[in-house]
Amino acid sequence: MENTNEKLRIIYGDGSLGISGSSFHYIFSYGRGGLESLVINGREWLYREPKPTFWRATTDNDRGNGFSKKSLQWLGADMFIDIKNISVRVNDKLIEFPGPPANNKYTGNEYADKAEVAYEYQTITIPAASVKVRYIVRSDGSITVNVHYAGNSSLPDLPAMGMRFIMPTAAAGYEYEGLSGETYPDRMAGGVSGRYKIEGMPVTPYLTPQDCGVHMDTDWLEIIRGTTKNNAENRKENFRIKICSIDKPFAFSCLPYTAEELENATHIEELPPPRRTVLSILGAVRGVGGIDSWGQDVETKYHIPAGRDIRFSFMITGV
Amino acid sequence: MQADINWLDDPEVFRTGQLLPHSDHRFYKNYDEVKNEKSSFVQTLNGSWQFHFSKNPMTRPEKFFAENFDSSSFGIIKVPGHIELAGYDKIHYINTLYPWEGHFYRRPAYSMGPDKKEEGMFSKAEDNPVGSYIKKFALKPEFFGKKVRIRFDGVEEAMFVWLNGNFLGYAEDSFTPSEFDLTPYIKKGENKLAVEVFKRSTAAFLEDQDFFRFFGIFRDVKLIAQPEVHVEDLLIEPKVTDNFQDGDLNIHCKISVGDAAAGVRFIVKDRDDKILYEKEQQAGNNIKIDGVVFKQVHLWDNAAPYLYRLFIELFRADGTLLEIVPYEFGFRRIEIKDKLILLNGKRLIINGVNRHEWSAETGRAITYQDMKRDVDIIKNNNINAVRTCHYPDQDIWYRLCDEHGIYVMAENNLESHGSWQKAGEVEPSYNVPGSLPEWRAVVLDRAKNNYELLKNHPSIIFWSLGNESYAGDNIEAMNKYYKQTDSSRLVHYEGVVRNRKYDGVISDVESRMYASPDEIADYLSNDPQKPFILCEYMHNMGNSLGGMSSYIQLIDRFPMYHGGFIWDFIDQALLVEDELTGQKVLRYGGDFDDRPSDYEFSGDGLLFANRTEKPAMQEVRYYYGKYK
Repeated sequence: MENTNEKLRIIYGDGSLGISGSSFHYIFSYGRGGLESLVINGREWLYREPKPTFWRATTDNDRGNGFSKKSLQWLGADMFIDIKNISVRVNDKLIEFPGPPANNKYTGNEYADKAEVAYEYQTITIPAASVKVRYIVRSDGSITVNVHYAGNSSLPDLPAMGMRFIMPTAAAGYEYEGLSGETYPDRMAGGVSGRYKIEGMPVTPYLTPQDCGVHMDTDWLEIIRGTTKNNAENRKENFRIKICSIDKPFAFSCLPYTAEELENATHIEELPPPRRTVLSILGAVRGVGGIDSWGQDVETKYHIPAGRDIRFSFMITGV
Repeated sequence: MQADINWLDDPEVFRTGQLLPHSDHRFYKNYDEVKNEKSSFVQTLNGSWQFHFSKNPMTRPEKFFAENFDSSSFGIIKVPGHIELAGYDKIHYINTLYPWEGHFYRRPAYSMGPDKKEEGMFSKAEDNPVGSYIKKFALKPEFFGKKVRIRFDGVEEAMFVWLNGNFLGYAEDSFTPSEFDLTPYIKKGENKLAVEVFKRSTAAFLEDQDFFRFFGIFRDVKLIAQPEVHVEDLLIEPKVTDNFQDGDLNIHCKISVGDAAAGVRFIVKDRDDKILYEKEQQAGNNIKIDGVVFKQVHLWDNAAPYLYRLFIELFRADGTLLEIVPYEFGFRRIEIKDKLILLNGKRLIINGVNRHEWSAETGRAITYQDMKRDVDIIKNNNINAVRTCHYPDQDIWYRLCDEHGIYVMAENNLESHGSWQKAGEVEPSYNVPGSLPEWRAVVLDRAKNNYELLKNHPSIIFWSLGNESYAGDNIEAMNKYYKQTDSSRLVHYEGVVRNRKYDGVISDVESRMYASPDEIADYLSNDPQKPFILCEYMHNMGNSLGGMSSYIQLIDRFPMYHGGFIWDFIDQALLVEDELTGQKVLRYGGDFDDRPSDYEFSGDGLLFANRTEKPAMQEVRYYYGKYK
């Protein structure tokens, strides 16, 4: 997408690290603990910083077998998280953390081929677990995101584990290559591989809103938006961002609501008008189960044991 | 005969003045009518009826059936339909507990002792609303001088019927037709039909299905005239010979013959209109044709639901045609051999669903279009079997299943869940029907109603005694009734697993619900005595249907595993206007101030209540397609 001969410009700010190229500009915040701005072709893709996500809105099966109560700590972890450490690498070399006053040595004319910001989070669970998220920006503007959840077996099974991106406006739709329909690890045999375009962000209208819309085994995904919150933006055409798998396919959901918003509604009409895009790129997905809805658990092989490390990677690029 | 409201309290009174149940054959005047499926012998009474709602029996307009009764204050209701959905009574959903839970204390008559008759339990109940229906109609001129009956296809859950002030009878079984002879009282001019429908009677203990608790005239009502010679009942017995090549057909016909001599002609045609058999004889009350051999028959099954066509023509001595009865039948054999369920000699695999009759707009008052849509969805998704949970459906449904090769488990109208399972525990201290002698005839009547109506449908391969009613002598008697009456089908009942004492005398199959794959493997690995099916499995509530592969794998591991019926086909939820936005939204139990409720527990379908497919359907299509 970019002229690969071009170098990244690095802006060593007092509160953030800016990284830009001819058609992109990213801001990695120190104080807010994450990627604060993801601008591609002049349009902002972030509403709040992407953070690790651990919760899924209780399904009827989860409720019936008490899973939500057992895994309750992960609801808090999903809503609030501590940032423990931030580190920066430039051209694969760890540099002295470039906050003030260390950043006084820079001039504003710094360039690199590659830059990396790594955030280390600690969950508020007891005991805590850690999640390391590394953003590696290359000169073509692509961002590789590596996520590593370090397990702790004394914690309850996880409802989900992924990265949640909240985008400023509601997506017009999305397109992906993967399986048809809504799929879960224990319900994906019927999914047909192909390229699918989805209008809007359908929330599967289960009688009580619950986790929905997961797409397993995805090779790539493009989010399509037509609106921004920028008052000076005059362009009307749709624009896209692309998420590509690295090494292995990923799972995702793209909904107008967070897990907590879905969790609180007892009817679909109680959900607010779709206003934002909540994209979850999932490294681990718990099965939905189905033997019954009043006690039988999801089959063991479709659980997410908290003691197991979870690693996944994906790449973000413009389109 | 006078109507007696105390019948509501008496489990031994459940049908009074009704005509005998009989086969669901249609009859026509000529072949044009046969072709258009429009019988001039039928006059519908569907439409607008006068209606009065009373909160309880004490406040009902008792004499409303009288010809001189002033009904000018009555409102209007649409028939068929539920009284609750017309706005007269509160909508209520509850699953297993009886609908009066927490409001009224009740024990079934005789369950606490032979002297505990519980008089007045329903006839004087504050929570027993009454619908008083009046329909004024004029008979079609071509009905004059003929015998005329009225047929109610479904009324919940107890009704008294009058014509022109004369009492005709009383009926309970909500999901099979009730017919009354109008001939003695019918007039050429305006007739006044009065129907008094009660929400509760002793039938309420037997109709504790997991559904919205509606009452009213919710299926078609029609007048049926009959020609002077008429087929009253028809039994078609197509048998497949041991070599699975040839067919052997018996036809038994009950005919009401008039005074004049009449003839009857039997014609059997194949699908290409080729006449395979023809026989003519004098009409008599009981005609039996036995052992007609058909060489090299097309067998009926899911893949090729081949139907032969029987025409019975009744005619006067001069040859004038009086009546034609067409009936499509199929040759198929269902049996258990070496502990395996075989259909036409091959192992049966049930890729099934449980299906309630449901529409988000009209509840259980569904249309033919709804049924056609269901058939399409069933066929498109490789579903091959339906359990009619937990009552008989409209009879046209079974015809659709014949045509489309859908195997049917035809269930009786029986579920007494609240009488034996409480707080999740088996507690049958006041179970009905149990072994109480006073509750035997009523459940046998339900078995008979189901059999007599539907006995000619090749699609029905199982009779099901009912659902979740525990097990006792009375269900054993139902089992015995089917075994003695019908050798061409299997008998199913799951509840015997709750009371193993009856294992040997109830159910041809070991049937479970929601058993895990491991539990099934355990049964099938330990000297199983009966072939195994799941009458309910994969509870598709909300986002569910995960792990289906573990069930599908059992098919190859255990020959005695015969598959099952997913719970269930369509969410039961109601489309109503949102009080804030005016949008149409789907609502469920508890949304109508109905308490106690089981809330969203009726949302377990492969379809949403608006008949769109849930995402899980692609999984069903895939796995069921593997064993098509």
